[in-house]
Amino acid sequence: MKVSFQALSRHLDLAGVTAERVAEVLPMLGLEVESVTTFGLAPLPLVVVGEIKSFEKHPKADRLSVCQVDAGEGSLRQIVCGAKNFKAGDRVPVALPGTLMPGGFEIKVSKLRDVDSAGMMCSSEELGLGKGEDGLLILTPRQPAVGTPLNSLYGAPDTVLEISVTPNRGDCLGIRGVARDLAAALGLTLKPLTVKTAAGLAAAPSAADAVKFVRSSSEFCPYYTLRTLKNVKVGPSPEWLRRDLEAAGLRPINNVVDITNWVLLELGQPLHAFDANKVSEGIEARPAREGEEIVLLDGKKVKLEPGVCVIADARRPLVVAGVMGGADAGVTESTTDVLLEAAWFRPGEIRRVARRIGVSTDSSHRFARDVDPAGVELASRLATDLLIELAGAQVVGPAIAVGQPPRADVTIDLPAGYVAAKLGTPVADADVSAAFARLGFTVKPSAAGCSVLVPSFRSDVTRPIDLVEEFIRIHGTDKVPAGRPIAPLPGEEDALTSVFTREVSARLVGAGFTECCHYSLRDAAELERTLGADQAARVAMDNPLTAEQTHLRASLVPGLAGALALNLSVHADPRGLFEVGTVFRPQADGTVREFLSVAFAIVAEPVTRSWKSREAFDGLRAKRLLQDAAALAGVAAVRLSFGTATGGLWQADHAAALVDRGRAAEGACGVLDLRWTRSLGLKSSVIAGEVCFPRAAFAEARKTPRFEAFSSFPPVTKDVAVIVPVGVAAAEVESRVRQGASKAAGKEFALESVSCFDVFTGPGLPEGHRSLAFELRWRHAARTLTDEETNQALGVVIATLEKGAGWTVRR
Amino acid sequence: MQQQLAQLVAAATQEASAVATRAELEAFKARVVGPNGSLTQVMKGMATLSKEERPVVGKLINEAKKSVEELLAALLVKVENAEIAAALGASVDPTLPSPDAPAGSLHPLSRTRERILASFRKLGFVVADGPEVETEWHCFDALNTPADHPARDMQDTLYMPKAFRSADAPRKADEAILLRTHTSSVQVRTMLSRKPPFRIVAPGRCFRRDAVDATHSANFHQVEGLWIDRHVTLADLRGVLDFFVKETFGADAEIRLRPSFFPFTEPSFEMDLRSPNLGRLSDRWLEIMGCGLVDPKVLELCGLDPKEWSGLAFGLGLERIAMLVHGIDDIRHFYNNDTRFLRQFA
Repeated sequence: MKVSFQALSRHLDLAGVTAERVAEVLPMLGLEVESVTTFGLAPLPLVVVGEIKSFEKHPKADRLSVCQVDAGEGSLRQIVCGAKNFKAGDRVPVALPGTLMPGGFEIKVSKLRDVDSAGMMCSSEELGLGKGEDGLLILTPRQPAVGTPLNSLYGAPDTVLEISVTPNRGDCLGIRGVARDLAAALGLTLKPLTVKTAAGLAAAPSAADAVKFVRSSSEFCPYYTLRTLKNVKVGPSPEWLRRDLEAAGLRPINNVVDITNWVLLELGQPLHAFDANKVSEGIEARPAREGEEIVLLDGKKVKLEPGVCVIADARRPLVVAGVMGGADAGVTESTTDVLLEAAWFRPGEIRRVARRIGVSTDSSHRFARDVDPAGVELASRLATDLLIELAGAQVVGPAIAVGQPPRADVTIDLPAGYVAAKLGTPVADADVSAAFARLGFTVKPSAAGCSVLVPSFRSDVTRPIDLVEEFIRIHGTDKVPAGRPIAPLPGEEDALTSVFTREVSARLVGAGFTECCHYSLRDAAELERTLGADQAARVAMDNPLTAEQTHLRASLVPGLAGALALNLSVHADPRGLFEVGTVFRPQADGTVREFLSVAFAIVAEPVTRSWKSREAFDGLRAKRLLQDAAALAGVAAVRLSFGTATGGLWQADHAAALVDRGRAAEGACGVLDLRWTRSLGLKSSVIAGEVCFPRAAFAEARKTPRFEAFSSFPPVTKDVAVIVPVGVAAAEVESRVRQGASKAAGKEFALESVSCFDVFTGPGLPEGHRSLAFELRWRHAARTLTDEETNQALGVVIATLEKGAGWTVRR
Repeated sequence: MQQQLAQLVAAATQEASAVATRAELEAFKARVVGPNGSLTQVMKGMATLSKEERPVVGKLINEAKKSVEELLAALLVKVENAEIAAALGASVDPTLPSPDAPAGSLHPLSRTRERILASFRKLGFVVADGPEVETEWHCFDALNTPADHPARDMQDTLYMPKAFRSADAPRKADEAILLRTHTSSVQVRTMLSRKPPFRIVAPGRCFRRDAVDATHSANFHQVEGLWIDRHVTLADLRGVLDFFVKETFGADAEIRLRPSFFPFTEPSFEMDLRSPNLGRLSDRWLEIMGCGLVDPKVLELCGLDPKEWSGLAFGLGLERIAMLVHGIDDIRHFYNNDTRFLRQFA
């Protein structure tokens, strides 16, 4: 919404108030000022009227002319010019050397392609007067004297403030609304609005009216008025009206349309003018019928959704109510009788319809934000004044009104002390009343406090809390001091997801990994790779914006693999990368569940050279990081088992899927599918890991660990090596070892640890077998174990192991 | 006798120079002071001497013994040094670089988030969270957003298809499922699930149907704050925000509350920040966050009696804060994951 300083000055006396001050005050009222621009001719003392006495072609440039210009200095000036739209004898603006143009550049005596040029002849745009005709601004028709300062031909420049109006402040979509707020803030008085056309409405057309009926049968149009104006002379608007519209960013069309637009800007009430001779019989606001169409003013043909409110005559819809007029019954040069509409339409419906047909107009914008029903008739009268004055219109009688204004003024009971209680600082009742009075509200004392009458132009103020906002806007937020110091509430803890995120990030940063952050929205190909085509469809969005962002991510790994490739391509050593974030995974029950995921990826072989060789990263180191991450989420390593990962992101036989017996975690680690990572441009294999947890995993508070006593006697260790077929998993063998070793210890003593210390395949072993060696450690709580006991225990372990088919213990 | 002892010590000293290992040392020791050692033999000869000779010879023997012991001690040091050198290998040049990779780093958004959470934690705000895929009810209706509000438009908000069912955000009725447009939905979930008083901050990822450019991103992060208690006031809001800004931008940062509009707060404000330490953005009012007192309608919709309870709420953009704090000029840096960017904030 563009509001000029001059426009505001029509409604309040701004003597002594600068435009800069206005631009400072409005934002603190909730009216954000997005830009401040000059409208009209800025003070340019060195720009004068000059006459082009003669000109010839530039000797070295076809497009340039060398002109001899009389700028009223007694002698001629030579100026090189690129424009073509002039003839000898034309009078044009001449910027003399030393002029600082509105665009910021300074005019100097110079040479253009070796020809002297002492000044510049200007176009409308160069002077900051907006885009006019191409070429120089020709002043000849105005007959100005040569040498006259250009500023004397134009009025003083105006300042235009572009204001962003929040959706609750429909009243500030009219200049008077902004002026009212400004007056309240500055302690000024709003000037009364003088309207000559008499108030008063008729219920039905008289014989003199240009219509036989005015009706509303649409629920979206509870209040409609129409006025007949005869013998209207359509023509151009006077200079002041054109200027006001242009300052507000509107294009002047003709006096009738310009007047309706001017009133819209002034009061925020949209009006519509029909050519009465093109209207058949009467006007009705009614629901559109099945199959009806309308060609809008902008030439767009719109199929009307049945039920949408249209303004129609006896034959056809003429206007999409409140949104845009049709081409059929608009005012043109040949119009003589005008029907002037002023109405109130339901805001929500206007917003819906405007969006549905894809147009937003000054009119729909205002109706959608709830215009003042009490302002409908006023706007009609103000426009009538102007139609009489500027277009010679004749009024035949009062406007015809159907329906009733849907809202009236509202009374709010404001309990004593309510405002102060919400502010948290004392305020005098008198200050509160004064602020409301400045806003045009009427305050009366009541038993419980006061009652505040809020005029209908403020549809957003209906409750005591709304009055608090009104008060603070006028009183000033800077007058509210910072409140009491506050103490934390005992026993309150961060959500465990947050604690986990912090802790697991610290673990990975400590391990040398750098945190990344990727978009959650991914393309179809990535999801098909991650989940398979069937499942991928389950995380597709309904209305994606681009083809690259159509699905919700199901894994953080593809993002990280991409980041490795990106960094290598720019010759940056990515080292290890990790990410913590939400992923979305389809579940067997038909739902999609959110998981908090932790993932990392690293190129197996170090990228940069070093004087000392380092171990390559591998899938088993990835496994440790996953186990640590799971432990931080409260999932102990013993609950996790690692099976074969199948397909998707992972390389067959070189990656493992992680399964949690407690169903709180899932994941995988190992080598990423080599064809895929190579297609990303990664030469070396990539090791990655990902573990994710449903929200429920973080629902319960963590248990505080309890101390357990430990033995002060030495342990006994024994080694056992077992030869098993290569297909048997190490975990299975280890589990069997544990089983035997625990059984052997019984209740007497305890198995402390089992660790695999050797894995061997090769000479001396049967074909297709491997040997796994474990160290077992037992300990007694109250004494040293004897050799006899431990040898016996080892015997039990050996016996347990040899029950396995094809398993032999090495002796 | 004296001469004999002198010869013995001289011989031992000469022999000692050849001792290099612990075994040679033990053998040498045995040859000199062992049961049949040369010195032991001389000492045994003491018994044959007369009373008068003994003190004189005894003194000589003690001197010789002392010399031998010193010799043995020196040899032990020599042998141990040789052993340590063998165990450790050649000396190391400490000026060589470590082959290990240095520690990694947190993403600047995470660092900024943790810094913000830490400052609110000092005021007793604890972290809460909620799902990223939300019901329209939690994201809009419960926050007093009109049914035809533009934010709900398919143009601006990403929706999931009708068939989509979220395990974390089940529908209440048949409302749409969408990607949350703000973390304010966590306000709703917290009010519904907890008994006041409480103070929470909710960091999280949000989504808008925006094309990516220097200042827009299809997903972005917010930190939401909510304090529900009896008699929460505008002065409290100012106190909380003032504290946060001074924690994050330094003691000379100032704030102002500029009236604005949000459906879920009344009164509503934009909080602007001005600081002398923001590079080319210094000493200008910058819009940082939206805030206000929780609208009574929202309290009601979330099952709290507005006559008893009141609250304040605020929401800020993490990217915006991180850009200001670190002088980052393009939001896309956060999502490109070029390590030359990421490691600048370690």
